[in-house]
Amino acid sequence: MTNRRAFMKQGAMALFASGIVGGIPSFIARAADANKLFMPYKKKKVLVCIFQRGAMDGLMAVTPYTDANLKQMRPTLFMSPAATEGKQFDLDGRFGLHPAFDALYPFFKEGRLAIVHGVGSPNNTRSHFDAQDYMESGTPFNKGTASGWLNRAVGLLGHDATPFRAVSITSALPRSLYGDNEAVAINNLQDFAIQMKGNPIAANMVAGSFEELYDQTTNKLLNRAGKESFDAMKMLNVNNIKNYQPTAGVVYPNSPLGNSLKQIAVLIKMDVGLEVAFAESGGWDTHFNQGAANGTFSRNAKDFSDSIAAFWKDMNAYQDDVTLMTMTEFGRTAAQNGTGGTDHGRASCAFIIGNDVAGGKVYNNIKSLAKEDLEDGRDLPVSIDFRASFSSVANNHLKINNNRVLFPDWDGYTLNLMKG
Amino acid sequence: MTSANDLCLPLIKPFLSFSVLSKTYSMNWRRIYKRLIAGVCLTLVFAFSEKGAENYRSVKIPYKKYGYTDRQAAARLLDRFSFGARPGEVDAVVNMGINKWFEQQLEGTDADTAVATRLANFKTLGLDNETIVNTYLDGGQILRFAVKNGLVNKDSVQGDKKAYQEQLKNLMQQMGLRPLQELQNELINQKIIRAAYSNNQLHEVLTDFWFNHFNVSLTKPQCQQFILTYERDAIRPYVTGNFSDMLLATAKHPAMLEFLDNASSVSDKNKLVNKKVEAVVQQQLQKKADDMQSAGSAIAPFVQQAVQARKVQGLNENYAREIMELHTLGVDGGYTQADVTSVARALTGWSLRPLAKDVPARNVFEKGLQNNFGNRGFVVEKDFFFRADKHDDDPKTILGKNFPANGGYKEGEEVINMLAKHPSTAQFIAKKLATRFVSDTPSVSLVNKMAETFRKTDGNIKAVLITMVNDREFWNQKSVREKVKSPFELAISAIRATNADVQQPAQVFNWVNKMGQKIYYYQAPTGFPDRASYWINTGALLNRMNFGLAFATQKIPGIKVDLASLNNNHEPESAEDALKVYSNIFLPERDNTENIKRITAIVTDRSVLQKISDAAEKNKEAVTPVAINNHSMISQVAGIIIGSPEFQRK
Repeated sequence: MTNRRAFMKQGAMALFASGIVGGIPSFIARAADANKLFMPYKKKKVLVCIFQRGAMDGLMAVTPYTDANLKQMRPTLFMSPAATEGKQFDLDGRFGLHPAFDALYPFFKEGRLAIVHGVGSPNNTRSHFDAQDYMESGTPFNKGTASGWLNRAVGLLGHDATPFRAVSITSALPRSLYGDNEAVAINNLQDFAIQMKGNPIAANMVAGSFEELYDQTTNKLLNRAGKESFDAMKMLNVNNIKNYQPTAGVVYPNSPLGNSLKQIAVLIKMDVGLEVAFAESGGWDTHFNQGAANGTFSRNAKDFSDSIAAFWKDMNAYQDDVTLMTMTEFGRTAAQNGTGGTDHGRASCAFIIGNDVAGGKVYNNIKSLAKEDLEDGRDLPVSIDFRASFSSVANNHLKINNNRVLFPDWDGYTLNLMKG
Repeated sequence: MTSANDLCLPLIKPFLSFSVLSKTYSMNWRRIYKRLIAGVCLTLVFAFSEKGAENYRSVKIPYKKYGYTDRQAAARLLDRFSFGARPGEVDAVVNMGINKWFEQQLEGTDADTAVATRLANFKTLGLDNETIVNTYLDGGQILRFAVKNGLVNKDSVQGDKKAYQEQLKNLMQQMGLRPLQELQNELINQKIIRAAYSNNQLHEVLTDFWFNHFNVSLTKPQCQQFILTYERDAIRPYVTGNFSDMLLATAKHPAMLEFLDNASSVSDKNKLVNKKVEAVVQQQLQKKADDMQSAGSAIAPFVQQAVQARKVQGLNENYAREIMELHTLGVDGGYTQADVTSVARALTGWSLRPLAKDVPARNVFEKGLQNNFGNRGFVVEKDFFFRADKHDDDPKTILGKNFPANGGYKEGEEVINMLAKHPSTAQFIAKKLATRFVSDTPSVSLVNKMAETFRKTDGNIKAVLITMVNDREFWNQKSVREKVKSPFELAISAIRATNADVQQPAQVFNWVNKMGQKIYYYQAPTGFPDRASYWINTGALLNRMNFGLAFATQKIPGIKVDLASLNNNHEPESAEDALKVYSNIFLPERDNTENIKRITAIVTDRSVLQKISDAAEKNKEAVTPVAINNHSMISQVAGIIIGSPEFQRK
């Protein structure tokens, strides 16, 4: 914190810190100058995390289609590469990828997509809230952990940073980013300014007043959030965001996830110091009429994979710096339920994409789906701890090598999902 | 007001509603008799119990004992039990008498003419579910309606959009159909209007609290048509009543039945079902539905849905889990996965009657109703429908208690009552109330005392609130201004603090959403978290400041703020004076001196003002020059106060 504040004062921020109003024509112009000043900060590795809220059915996303038990348990939901309708992509003769993930299939073939299957939490809660809470805090048996694992990851990066080091494209900060290290939550980057319609000068003056007030408040939370807000506001070039043009030929789906990833792309390309980004994808809680080739799951999967593929293509020259990983709180019952859907289960699967990912492989310890091999006789058991997968990406991509701090209470092995 | 009267009311309430139900479908006088006896006994218990009776005598809040003046106490109560003080309201509460004010708020029976006037043109607030389902159509239903009436070709993109919209609008009007969005808008707008203008503030705050506790969401298509009646019928009437009544009302309301899927959780462990006959019936229904669909009937989708609902067979644990984890016991309340499954089984068959007109399921239902479903244990109460033929008749064990076979509807009601009265529930609800009204981290002793009252009064919410406000922890200086307002609370408190006239509540909704709280759209059954750290973060905080500015400078369409009239049209002499005047109006009984000093330094800095006018001069083409007149200065000052850290706290 001290370091970063010092950097703000000495570096480009001195320009703004010098005066409350500054008398400079408009905030936008200043931000544009500032952007140039940030350029010398060399590009950093970026980790993009997508939380699939609601618990994705891993057995439908990536189906162990050779297991006859599954077909029996899912009379209308079973899919495979052999099917005539809803033909899956055959990944390795054992696992099939749901056809709606077609945009991600090339990543697998090129070895840039690793799939981790049978992944989940050792805590067998089947509550969305708890499972998300545990997965995001990174301590599956301790609710009292104040920080999130991504926030601890940020703290372990071990170098100076800008206010945009950790950004969540959500209206409120996710549990993953709770903690002592600064993190920004924003729904729309364009809102990152004190706004007074048609009156930017007054807006500057007012911004100064607010900054002063928040700097002085005795409420620690408001004080800290205030500091972060104003630091962040000064760094962002609202104009560039407004006029952002993705790489030629890239079309983001007009969906919440598509828009989130687009904004992350903007931040990465603006070189504002982003290192950890967080986005959400919703609608995976498919209790009811989940559908197979078509329907709720398929629509979600399509949006999910198209958004990721667009983001990746948009990254263009930045691809070497970026790793994207997905997570979901748990999987769903092996058998379909009475309402054409699946209920809360245990293990699911995760996607990890990047040029330094050892991809083209389904990492798993899945045995059979015979009743006696299922957890509680009903769910795909967790055979890979989510922390084994998360830590692999953090260790290799972000060069964080302190699993004790990243995941206290855990001394399991780290998977090797990455090259080198 | 005697203790007996107060206690009897909630006990008679379920009796009244039950008598309606039993008259038509199942005469269960023994049950009613038992309830009355229980009521008399309970009354006697409390007549002799010092503690229980005390809660029902007139309220005597011990604020003086804890060092509060009348005005300070009034300001604190307004902070926590209303959506914010209006100008002069602290004095009004003091004049009325603080205890009397709190009693009135607990009663919540003010006629609320201001609200009535503002809601006079609303069309949906009194509608029942059946009317809503058959009148307010969502996008898909409207499209199908258009297709059916030849307004749009199924296979082609509409050419003349404007003409199409016009035709569609006219035809829907002719048929008395409306877009669903109108219903949702009125739902949202009524909440904003009531919160801002109701005199029954505590009831509005509690409606917000309990709705969030029993959260349902407009994001889920299956329940979105029922949310208005859910808040009105299952939450609002019970907010200070007995917890078990509200729990049961939510359990039986279509919104909750659909939101957490219980309506489609069914069992075939049932003696009533002849599987062969059922197969034939389903075949016939499906054929009829298909025929309607190919004929392009507007209600075909309803029919298909109903047929699907009849077809699908199986247990769904979603509601059973959440009623224990989120509504009653709490996640550490001592239940297992086996309990979840058993509760789900006990609630199989809890569903809603077919509400869409002219669907086969409706016809079957009406026929069944005529002969009371052959007296086979079916229960119909308003829109709630216990389908005895979908209920799991096997015996069950829940939280160590055995439920014998063939328990029928009664079994589910017993389970729900058992959950409502479980000691873990008392603790869980007490903590949640204390978190909302006292502090994000309420003390264990306060929670324990509130839980004790909860247990002793059979979950009487009014009694629990009285215990809370009598406790020293409520008046602890540490918890003063400790809570941070949610975005909704912030927006409404600004409206109240300025006596603003809200003509377009939708604008308030948009801002509240922008600040991080899309009301009625929270997707998880948990409801919004109630803690400052959830609301306050970098992006949201800037939006709070922007809200303050936009609001006070009249940049939000449809919201009028007359700052001058708040100061009796007396223009403040200086910026410093303006700060003093408006800080004291917006933040009564707070120490505003530091704030005033700091902002004054900024707004009166000559060099700053010079810079602004210089910059404006230099950039005439780029920016609109702003006349720095007194009026705009005052509104900016007001905006800064509303966006300031102090105004975020309560």
